[in-house]
Amino acid sequence: MNLILSDRALPVPEICRASSEFFDLSQMRIAHCLGCFGCWVRTPGRCVIRDDAVRIYPRIAASRKLLCVSRIWCGSYDLPMKTMLERAIPVQQAFIRLWHGETHHLQRNPLPKQALILGYGDISAGKQDIFRQLVSRNAHNMNFEEYRIVFTSEEELEMTFQKEAIAWANS
Amino acid sequence: MGELLILNGSPRAPRSNSRQYALLFAKSYPQAVETFAVGQCRPWELCRAMEDCSDLLLVFPLYADGLPSPLMGFLQELEKDPPHNRPVISILINCGFLEPEQNHTAIRILRRFCQKNGYPLGSILKIGGGEAILSTPFRFLAKREIRQLAKSIHRRSYGTFQVTMPLSKQMFLRASSRYWENCGKRNGLTREQMSAPQIENESPPPQ
Repeated sequence: MNLILSDRALPVPEICRASSEFFDLSQMRIAHCLGCFGCWVRTPGRCVIRDDAVRIYPRIAASRKLLCVSRIWCGSYDLPMKTMLERAIPVQQAFIRLWHGETHHLQRNPLPKQALILGYGDISAGKQDIFRQLVSRNAHNMNFEEYRIVFTSEEELEMTFQKEAIAWANS
Repeated sequence: MGELLILNGSPRAPRSNSRQYALLFAKSYPQAVETFAVGQCRPWELCRAMEDCSDLLLVFPLYADGLPSPLMGFLQELEKDPPHNRPVISILINCGFLEPEQNHTAIRILRRFCQKNGYPLGSILKIGGGEAILSTPFRFLAKREIRQLAKSIHRRSYGTFQVTMPLSKQMFLRASSRYWENCGKRNGLTREQMSAPQIENESPPPQ
């Protein structure tokens, strides 16, 4: 199954509906990570906060294709997506490995993914550069085999999403 | 003017390593400091206190390669209702990984926040191995750099510092494994149980 996470409602193209799950994070109840590490050292793979995030992070792990749509704030994912990504740490283990010469957490067992990240909003060149760096860092921790980043304005988001989602589903 | 405020941006502020780092900083700083914590104060309370301060130190852990979301939310509230006085913002960031450089993206995000909102950026201290360093014999290294950070802010001679545990990567892997195994053991878990592939009790999909 493919997975689409978005921080706002978007019309999902017909071709994506059969093969993808769509979650509009703005309509979900997702608290911030408490940093308790319970999902590593008390109930491995399971978050202590029983809100909507517990439906999503297993889907992140199980997806082969992931499409994330997020507003950009100061070169970062904006709050809804950032909060969800932080809540996805049950996908990782506490233990650390060497990965591309750096120390990173071991993965619990997520599928390797092709990811498409659609960043919108304030997308000046400097912010794009920071966002690219952020996604490349996340790629190490989210088992991205390949990823692509597309930037668009808020006005053109729906149109860009339609076009990119169709290409993503067909790829 | 002249007062320094600390904002602890850790989601587990009262029990956080960031609190320990903030306490060490406060001990090293020659003047009194006032400490706030995200989740324990309202943005307007910090905003009001910022009117009379010259420096603000943000102390927080790296979360998913960026700022912890509660700190982001707090800064976004400050954007909506900013103080008239813009203090110099300094950063004390720690990550659990050996490489303090893994904090760079979060620092760039904060630098952008400062540029966008008219806050001068002051000193930066990047800590690697920050989850454990204070409970190891290398605690003195972290304390030494925190003193440097405090001195640089007090003298208004801002700079960038970093510290980590002086271990090879292989030694760090072994030490961190022991650290986490002991955390699990305190909850009656073995390493195998902590490494289980199930997520929310779902078996992993075939690779």
